[in-house]
Amino acid sequence: MGPRRPTVRPGDGGPSEHREQAADGGLEGLLVRVARGDHAAFEQMYDLVAGQVYGLVLRVLRDPAQSEEVAQDVLVEVWRSAARYEPGRASARAWVMTIAHRRAVDRVRSAQAAVNREDRAARLDVRRPFDEVSDSVEKSLELERLRRCLNALTELQRESVTFAYYDGYSYREVAELLKVPLATVKTRMRDGLIRMRDCLGVDR
Amino acid sequence: MSEPHTLAGAYALDAIDDDLDRRRFEEHLAVCEECAQEVAGLAEAAARLGQAVAVEPPPGMRAAVMAEIGRVRQLPPAVAAPGPAPRPAPIRGRRRDTTARTRRWPRVAAGLAAVGVAASLVLGVIAVRTQDELERLRAGDRQVAAVLAAPDARTASGSVSGTGAGRGATGTVVVSPSQGRLVFVSSGLSTLPPSRTYQLWRIAPDGVESAGLLRPDGSGHVPPVIVDARGGVEKVGVTVEPAGGSRQPTTQPILLLDVQTA
Repeated sequence: MGPRRPTVRPGDGGPSEHREQAADGGLEGLLVRVARGDHAAFEQMYDLVAGQVYGLVLRVLRDPAQSEEVAQDVLVEVWRSAARYEPGRASARAWVMTIAHRRAVDRVRSAQAAVNREDRAARLDVRRPFDEVSDSVEKSLELERLRRCLNALTELQRESVTFAYYDGYSYREVAELLKVPLATVKTRMRDGLIRMRDCLGVDR
Repeated sequence: MSEPHTLAGAYALDAIDDDLDRRRFEEHLAVCEECAQEVAGLAEAAARLGQAVAVEPPPGMRAAVMAEIGRVRQLPPAVAAPGPAPRPAPIRGRRRDTTARTRRWPRVAAGLAAVGVAASLVLGVIAVRTQDELERLRAGDRQVAAVLAAPDARTASGSVSGTGAGRGATGTVVVSPSQGRLVFVSSGLSTLPPSRTYQLWRIAPDGVESAGLLRPDGSGHVPPVIVDARGGVEKVGVTVEPAGGSRQPTTQPILLLDVQTA
């Protein structure tokens, strides 16, 4: 276990906040037990990550029924692939969220979702993702910090990052939506995430 | 081809929807530890965005997941450790478990799987091959198959002479104008020291562009590379470059195949 998080992180304000604090840094330990087929460890892990997995998938897909199905797949995948997790490479939480995001984006890009694309683009025009994020962010110090860090990005960085992450748009689609060159979007995504990383104090 | 590094953000956001782009970037990650670390850090930052939108999951989900894991067999730990040489045997074995389609293009499939697995090992974060990713590999595989099966497909082959890197290796291009793509395959490429890499180049009248890095496995196989053949590609070449690749070739090609006379 690396010196990943030297400071105590506040929880997410959800029902499992005190358990999350107890398990912080313990999520990696749980995942190691899950890899050995430990059902009890998986149940604990479920309680710590299921809300985040479902929330993220729902954010990308928008459709509760599909999101439940995909979130279920993600959590089963966590069980199935736990042995492939390498603690030195990523925090357990990022590992889980990476699987969740990828699955959600894959679903968005699948053929059946493609027909809804115009619809999504239309919605995007009137939606302001950052404000939506801000709404749900007031609850805890960490989310407050996230809001502050998002605020520290330039508008183009913020839009590039959030359209891709929360809406599942590819960088090509983001470039089209924002009417900026591809190279610009690529750079803004990278610079934006680097700034987020540094601002959040992600320790790697 | 733009600097691969600039794709790190898009990659961490799952915002690269072009299979070939992503595969190239993963090839680059496999040889660029610094880039892999950067992607890991950016993925951590992105994950925080995900945490911010947590909501209470539907009530039935917990029971459904717990029931499902009772029926799912867990994967064993990855067999190969991260290192310069991917180990082909377990990869092929695993691949065969997951799909029956490999029989038709066994080497193609094993090669494609090897790229994916090598990148996964380097990344760690992404050390999971989801069904969707397998679908993507198959899509790349289908592109290869489409070129190879095209009625207008033509081939050109050559071998590496001399006594330097890659000696004795052979390379073949199969080009299909109707598909607008060419496929480069090679065999017998010797393993290079970690500080060097083979790099494939697409040579057209308006300049030379990288077509990706070639990473032979222990037996000298490299996965087939799909190259855009539009815009008057004249030749395809292979050079030996510093690890991570170069923006333009810095050494004489060890292999040069003439696409137009193919």
